[in-house]
Amino acid sequence: MSERKLYGLTALFQTPDEIVHAAKKVQDSGYKKYDVHTPYPVHGMDAAMKLKPSNLGYVTLIFGLSGAAFALLFMYWAMSKDYPMIIGGKPFFALPAFIPITFEITVLLATLATVIGMLTFYFKFPNNSQPLHDTPYMKAVSSDKYGICIEADDELFDLEKVKHLFKELNGQNVSDIYFPVTEPFKIFEPKFLILLAVVGMLTSGATYVTLNKLLYITPFTWLMDQDKVAAQSRSVFYADGFGMRKPVDGTVARGFIPYEYKGLAAPVVPLSNPLLPTAQILQLGRKRFLTFCSPCHGNFGDGDSRLRGQFPNPPSLHSEKVRGWQDGNIYHVIVNGQNVMPSYSSQLSRDDRWAVIHYIRALQKAKNASPSEILEAKKETPSNAAK
Amino acid sequence: MNIDYSQEMPVIESRISLAEIDRLISRPLDEKPDKKFLIALSITLTLLLVGVISISYLFLYGTGVWGLNQPVGWAFDITNFVFWVGIGHAGTLISAVLYLLRQKWRTGIARFAEAMTIFAVMCAGIFPIIHTGRPWLAGYLTPYPNQHGLWVNFTSPLVWDVFAVSTYFTVSLVFWYVGLIPDFGLLRDRTASKLKKTIYSIFSLGWRNSHRNWNHYEKAYMLLAGFATPLVLSVHTIVSFDFAVSIIPGWHSTIFPPYFVAGAIFSGFAMVVTVLIFVRKVFDLQHIITLNHLDKMNKIILVTGSMVGYAYAMEFFIAWYSGNPFEQFIFINRAFGPYAWAYWIMVSCNVFIPQLFWFKKVRRTIPVMLIIVILVNVGMWFERFVITVTSLHRDFLPSSWGYFVPSVFDLGTLIGSFGLFFTLVLLFTKTLPVVAISEIKAVAEGAQPSHNGGKH
Amino acid sequence: MANQDFSQNEKPEANYWRSFEELYADQKTLEAKKHEFLEGVTNDFNIEKNLSGLSRRKFIALLSASAALAGAGCSDYRDKGEVIPYNVKPEEVIPGKPNYYASTCNGCAQNCGIVIKTREGRPIKIDGNTDHPINKGKICAKGEASILNLYDPSRLQFPLIKQGGIFEKASWGSIDSQIKNSLDSASGSEIAVVTHRFNSPTTKKMFEEFQIKYPSAKIYAYDVYHNEIKNSAWKKCYGGDVFPLIKWDEANIILSLEGDFLGVEGNVVEQMRLFSDRKNVNDVKSFNRLYVAEGNMSLTGMNADYRFRLRPDNQLAFVLSLLNELITKKNISSPAVDANIKNIIPSFSLKEFASQNGIEYKKLSHLVDDLAANRGSAIVYGGRALNEQTQIAVNLLNEVLGNTKTYRTDAVDISKSVYSSNEELKNLVSSMNSGKVKAVIHFDTNPVYHLPQDLQYEKALGKVPTVITLSESENETAYASNYVLPISHTLESWGDYNVRTGVYSLQQPVISPIYNTRQKEAILLNLISDNLQNYSEKLYLDYLKKNWQENIFPKLSSPFTFEKFWIGALHDGVITTKEEAPQSPRSGVSKFPSLWEELGMGLISHKKVAGFTVMITESYRLGDGRYANNGWLQELPHPVSKVTWDNYAAISERSAKVLGVKNNDLVEIKVGNKKVSIPVILQPGVADNFISVETGFGRKNSGVVAQEAGVNVQPFYALSENSNSPWMVTNASVSKVSGSYKVISTQDHQNFDDALTKNAHLKRDIIQEGTVLQYLKDPGFLHKNKEHHLPNMYDDFAYNDVKWGMSIDLNRCLGCGNCIAACNVENNIPVVGKDQVEKGREMMWLRIDRYYSGTPEEPKPAVQPMLCQHCDQAPCENVCPVAATQHSPDGLNQMVYNRCVGTRYCSNNCPFKVRRFNFYNFRDHFANGYYLQDSVSLMHNPEVTVRSRGVMEKCSFCIQRIMEAREEAIRVNQPLKGSDVRTACQNSCGTEAIKFGNIKDPKEEFYEYRNHKLGYYVLEELNVKPNVTYLAKLRNTHSEEV
Repeated sequence: MSERKLYGLTALFQTPDEIVHAAKKVQDSGYKKYDVHTPYPVHGMDAAMKLKPSNLGYVTLIFGLSGAAFALLFMYWAMSKDYPMIIGGKPFFALPAFIPITFEITVLLATLATVIGMLTFYFKFPNNSQPLHDTPYMKAVSSDKYGICIEADDELFDLEKVKHLFKELNGQNVSDIYFPVTEPFKIFEPKFLILLAVVGMLTSGATYVTLNKLLYITPFTWLMDQDKVAAQSRSVFYADGFGMRKPVDGTVARGFIPYEYKGLAAPVVPLSNPLLPTAQILQLGRKRFLTFCSPCHGNFGDGDSRLRGQFPNPPSLHSEKVRGWQDGNIYHVIVNGQNVMPSYSSQLSRDDRWAVIHYIRALQKAKNASPSEILEAKKETPSNAAK
Repeated sequence: MNIDYSQEMPVIESRISLAEIDRLISRPLDEKPDKKFLIALSITLTLLLVGVISISYLFLYGTGVWGLNQPVGWAFDITNFVFWVGIGHAGTLISAVLYLLRQKWRTGIARFAEAMTIFAVMCAGIFPIIHTGRPWLAGYLTPYPNQHGLWVNFTSPLVWDVFAVSTYFTVSLVFWYVGLIPDFGLLRDRTASKLKKTIYSIFSLGWRNSHRNWNHYEKAYMLLAGFATPLVLSVHTIVSFDFAVSIIPGWHSTIFPPYFVAGAIFSGFAMVVTVLIFVRKVFDLQHIITLNHLDKMNKIILVTGSMVGYAYAMEFFIAWYSGNPFEQFIFINRAFGPYAWAYWIMVSCNVFIPQLFWFKKVRRTIPVMLIIVILVNVGMWFERFVITVTSLHRDFLPSSWGYFVPSVFDLGTLIGSFGLFFTLVLLFTKTLPVVAISEIKAVAEGAQPSHNGGKH
Repeated sequence: MANQDFSQNEKPEANYWRSFEELYADQKTLEAKKHEFLEGVTNDFNIEKNLSGLSRRKFIALLSASAALAGAGCSDYRDKGEVIPYNVKPEEVIPGKPNYYASTCNGCAQNCGIVIKTREGRPIKIDGNTDHPINKGKICAKGEASILNLYDPSRLQFPLIKQGGIFEKASWGSIDSQIKNSLDSASGSEIAVVTHRFNSPTTKKMFEEFQIKYPSAKIYAYDVYHNEIKNSAWKKCYGGDVFPLIKWDEANIILSLEGDFLGVEGNVVEQMRLFSDRKNVNDVKSFNRLYVAEGNMSLTGMNADYRFRLRPDNQLAFVLSLLNELITKKNISSPAVDANIKNIIPSFSLKEFASQNGIEYKKLSHLVDDLAANRGSAIVYGGRALNEQTQIAVNLLNEVLGNTKTYRTDAVDISKSVYSSNEELKNLVSSMNSGKVKAVIHFDTNPVYHLPQDLQYEKALGKVPTVITLSESENETAYASNYVLPISHTLESWGDYNVRTGVYSLQQPVISPIYNTRQKEAILLNLISDNLQNYSEKLYLDYLKKNWQENIFPKLSSPFTFEKFWIGALHDGVITTKEEAPQSPRSGVSKFPSLWEELGMGLISHKKVAGFTVMITESYRLGDGRYANNGWLQELPHPVSKVTWDNYAAISERSAKVLGVKNNDLVEIKVGNKKVSIPVILQPGVADNFISVETGFGRKNSGVVAQEAGVNVQPFYALSENSNSPWMVTNASVSKVSGSYKVISTQDHQNFDDALTKNAHLKRDIIQEGTVLQYLKDPGFLHKNKEHHLPNMYDDFAYNDVKWGMSIDLNRCLGCGNCIAACNVENNIPVVGKDQVEKGREMMWLRIDRYYSGTPEEPKPAVQPMLCQHCDQAPCENVCPVAATQHSPDGLNQMVYNRCVGTRYCSNNCPFKVRRFNFYNFRDHFANGYYLQDSVSLMHNPEVTVRSRGVMEKCSFCIQRIMEAREEAIRVNQPLKGSDVRTACQNSCGTEAIKFGNIKDPKEEFYEYRNHKLGYYVLEELNVKPNVTYLAKLRNTHSEEV
């Protein structure tokens, strides 16, 4: 047993008076590293051991105050900076409403800090491997005896001296306590590794099932699949699955009077353009032309398709023929298509078509303006000056 | 019997040695559970099962299984919530306030009361979650930014509740645990079985009864008590805000915070007494939990009961005094409207019956006291019911008045909450010392050095 | 040039340096630069040492945490469904954008013009057609809700043949040939076709051709509710077949005798509009004054300025007394009145009458004065239920007062079918019994339920070998027939109507039949076609077009080609022509004296009729019962009693005392051999010894919803023998029977004698009202002696864009409930079922509160539409823990469904209790998920969330419409105007009582209503700052007191 390191020497006492006296003596004889163990706090012991009153209070204070500050600032930030919302006509920073939470956070932080601080920093807990544990001494002091222990690494410690001191304080069953021998802990033993693997698999499995299966069975409703048919969605009602139905043949929707000359080679009486070529309309026409027409007709209607070669080029829109056309004829082609050009009626709304026609007219005019017209445009008119 | 109240009487009747105290208190832990205990447990578990069943129905089909309707959006759910939170308050009060007031007699009952606090708050905590239409989204009530970066609404009393109740639970738990550490130390050193030893060691964190620790320990305990006291007041204040902050006549009232706190203590003490009566009998702790304890608690019940009575009266007075027709209507309607029956149950149980405690005889005879405290609990439950339902069922627009009738699931949930509470209490008595051993020792005869007379 | 730039900095010459050492090439630094890490950074890193230093707990924690993350990481994306575009996109459909089709409603004989909103070819909403000259963009609640019938899961989905008592599925082909055979064989003996009255020229033609093909075929037409008595009386007075309409908007004084012209009689939609044209708060002087004398409290009665409760069988005495008062007292002479009449009528004294019927004489004298003062600009309207004598007396009264000026001469109602007389119906039944009838075709009719019990129609059907029923859904008649042919819904059918002179409207389908159905005309057409097999969906369309081209188009002298005309007609839905209305002969005047004799009026003494008088009336919600299987309509609260899901016997408090019954007690009504036991409701304002019950309930075999809804009182319907009313029975014995039956209403039946709750709505300023005189004297009287000082804790939030608001004019609001129906359809409101309404969990976002003041005998009703007030300082918002409800920048109180956890705190804290909570997934909960079936999902508005269980909801001011308008405004880049948005309720309101718009735009019409002198907020003193303004009701009384 000699190789075991000595922790300290303990003695037991019967009454609170004895222990207080003993503690005073030990303190007076200059020992620093000693401790008194009693089943409950014995009054007068602080004085005997000359202990300073605990300074735990400061920890509490600091954390309490920081808790308050944090809570208030956080709520201010969340409600009026990060995501401000008009709630009940209140201002974003409604101080009175923030008081309760501020108070609660203060208390929470203060208490937790106090307890955790005490246990970890003051007591160095958890610590079950302390030499005094599992000794008859400890059993006694936790029940009804009062004990004192002087540690071996006190510079004044001397086995005989201490034994003698205890004797004259008539402390009973004086005994010496040794450090337990502990062997270091190994992690790479197979059993432990298997455990880790199992834990890992279980957690990920559980996570997966919860996140993807469990949370989507009844009764959990996330308003995700609603009992309605949104645009372009599948219908369980119809066998063909089309949620979008075709209008009934022969019906006429408001604002969609069918084009009279659909399917004819040419309009009998070409329609006339209902829109005026305002800047707004021309803008719209330009937008639509560049989106739908330019891929084949080219950006300026010259028929220089962007799909060079891959596709038969359409004729230029600046040809005599097209320029000679009434708007109605162009409209007719847009609706019916012509040669390889398909109908664009489902891409271009009616207004769009007429707007595009206006734009085409503008393009034609731009390409084939007569000198007089250019002069006219160049003239210093207020409208031109504005440009 | 005549007792001289002029001088404080000993906490423990008849001199018992410290070792004897150990034995006495930790006996339930050492012995195998006996028949009586198992029967009791099976009963409470059955109640609990009823609750579990009704709650699973609730989850499956929705809030509709309860009796709630258009005007009455809250009834049993919130009633139970407030009721249980109230019960909880007694514990903290006994352990914290009485500690600060240096009431030595608290030591016998403090541990038990704290335990009850924690269990009661657990019961209470269930209801805010299950009362929502989509309980699995209860997480939304915690302040985290959801996928749209949206936080919670910090101006809502329900969010205050979340903070108040969770804080209250945490602090009570910590407070309780800190008190338990020395006892765990003792148990660790007493027990023979290997398993128990390991468990106790883990929980005792290696407590060594060192006086250098006692020094900080007592300080910490003092601080905790100091925080628990305002906390307990704040919690029920905030719970009362759920009503007081609204605009519904009968809810919108500034008297609520004190009124609720008084009520909480009232019901809490009643519950503590109810349970203690059995505990001290079953585990014959009559010496440690003495008649004097019960006597003192009954006095507190009497006081708080009268305070509650005052609050009732005051509500009516203010309603009349305010000249606000809505207020006036709601209170007349309370006393004489469709829910008069509930109102008068409440008044008689909370105000009239406790007055019997003026008589010492009543305060010190177990059977009578038992009946009274149980009635007080009934009354206090009805108080919350009356406040919640009668205010809602006839508010501003007569067109949308209604009447709430509880469904079987409402009752099932209520029963279940009691089941949970008593199950936990039973398990507690079998697993932990129902009395704080180290504290009791400290106040036992001759436990302190003679130079300060063996007592404080 | 770009290339040149690149070529320049190919080799950067510049010397970049990070420190002076480097710049001056310090050796150490250059050395150090060679190594990635400085000395000592890496060498003290020893994996063994560090790992073993790790405690076990920490290690496990780390590992499982990372594992958990891994698990979360490998969570797959949930299936959000697939995208299914059109193969060939129709030109008019843009996914996500609605289309609108003009058509005609065929819900009743009024055939209002409608516009149907479709999404991707699926109808989702029905509105009135603004171009239609009669209903001018409005329709009734039935029309609004009828879209549910289209998608009703219990519609017949395929033909059925009864074999051995049970129905079996059959194919059209086989069933057609079978029917054809039996019809062919039946030729010679009679083939009866039973239909309702119809206004379709083409249907008429179809029937004619049918009769050509089967000459033995007879067409029988009936309706449960009709104007036959009124008309025959008119004929007696004036002769001719022309029954004039009334210029309701030109009558200063309206006296309605048992006539519910705002509820169920005639074209209600039109009458509501015309009536309310004289309730314009900006021209209070021109308010009309409505007197109503009626037995039960009707919708019209609720809106009367003066109401007399009078048993219908005392109406005649009333009219005669009025005549007496006017002719003898006010000595108004008229060619219609001769000495003879003058001699007799004095025996009818108004005073006596008043005392006998417990009516305040003062009020009656007001009436008399008004009538006398407004001769020619008043109208006395006799309800269709009054017997012929009374009708004649009414005609005489109008004649005397010269009110014939208020008859319309420009147009009259016309019908393409005449009702079969009682004799014809009787003959039909008898020849059925005698086996003369070989086949009966029920052309979308339900005679087994409708026709009078005495006829024993069902029994007779048993004798007919071939009974064919064309029906949308199963019903009593279908069960009694051997062939049941499913017909298409109105929205799936073609049609044409000519309701009124010069008004032709077209009906076009907006979805091809969703089940294996055919439209009813096409079925008969196919039967008479020479080849059964070449049926096509276009069959009737072609027939219709042909008929128009040949017969109608030429008459219209249209400038266009027929094709063009046709397309245009379909587009507009209605064509109006300048036809001359047939005029009713004015010869009648001289007839009255002779009539007088003929009817022996002189002999009429005002004896009290013993026993109870029972009257059956058309249901406000279910019509004659054809809407019984429509959940929305069943749940729509009765406009007066707020009862849902049931009919009941409305009875006066005094009679109830006599019988010893309370609400919900059962009484047995016995008339001859017919007896029905039915729960009673104590309805304020009902005449004593009088019971009024709605028909249309108590259907059998008519679908899940209609089952067990109400009691069938159809047995009390009789053939109108010798000019008595078929809907009214006198001398009924009524007795209390054991047991009771809970009648459910959304609002508790108000208690008049409870001091605590009496007149609460007035005490609390929920309803604020005054009189016209008050207003004219001082327009600001409403806010006179209450100076509001409502201090504000905070400054108001500055809304700098549009801010939405609504104003509801209680003068115009009649309380009909059309808005509720419209709201239900627009916002996907579920049907909750009777049990849930009983618990108080109805889901309608918009409700109409009804309050009574006064006495049970003389109640003063007040109605008030109540919806989310979108308060600026909304109490609901403050208390929601998860911020699921807050304000939008344009002043809306928003509800974020998928953030809502359902604490119900907002609802508790709402002073108006307008929030609705999904206690269940009601679609699932109602009748085992009846409305959760696939067909219904097609109907739901895709722009509105279908709320799940546990979520709070409420009126959103039709946010989807606001957003649509906003998008449009952005598209055409114009500023959004308040008038761009019309909410569903506003659109449906037949009297334009609801106005919606931008609170901050003074240029809008809405603005003047928002800031009108009559405007007030409900519960103003709470200072929640609602955005809904109510305009106080002004009662047009003689004196100032209300």
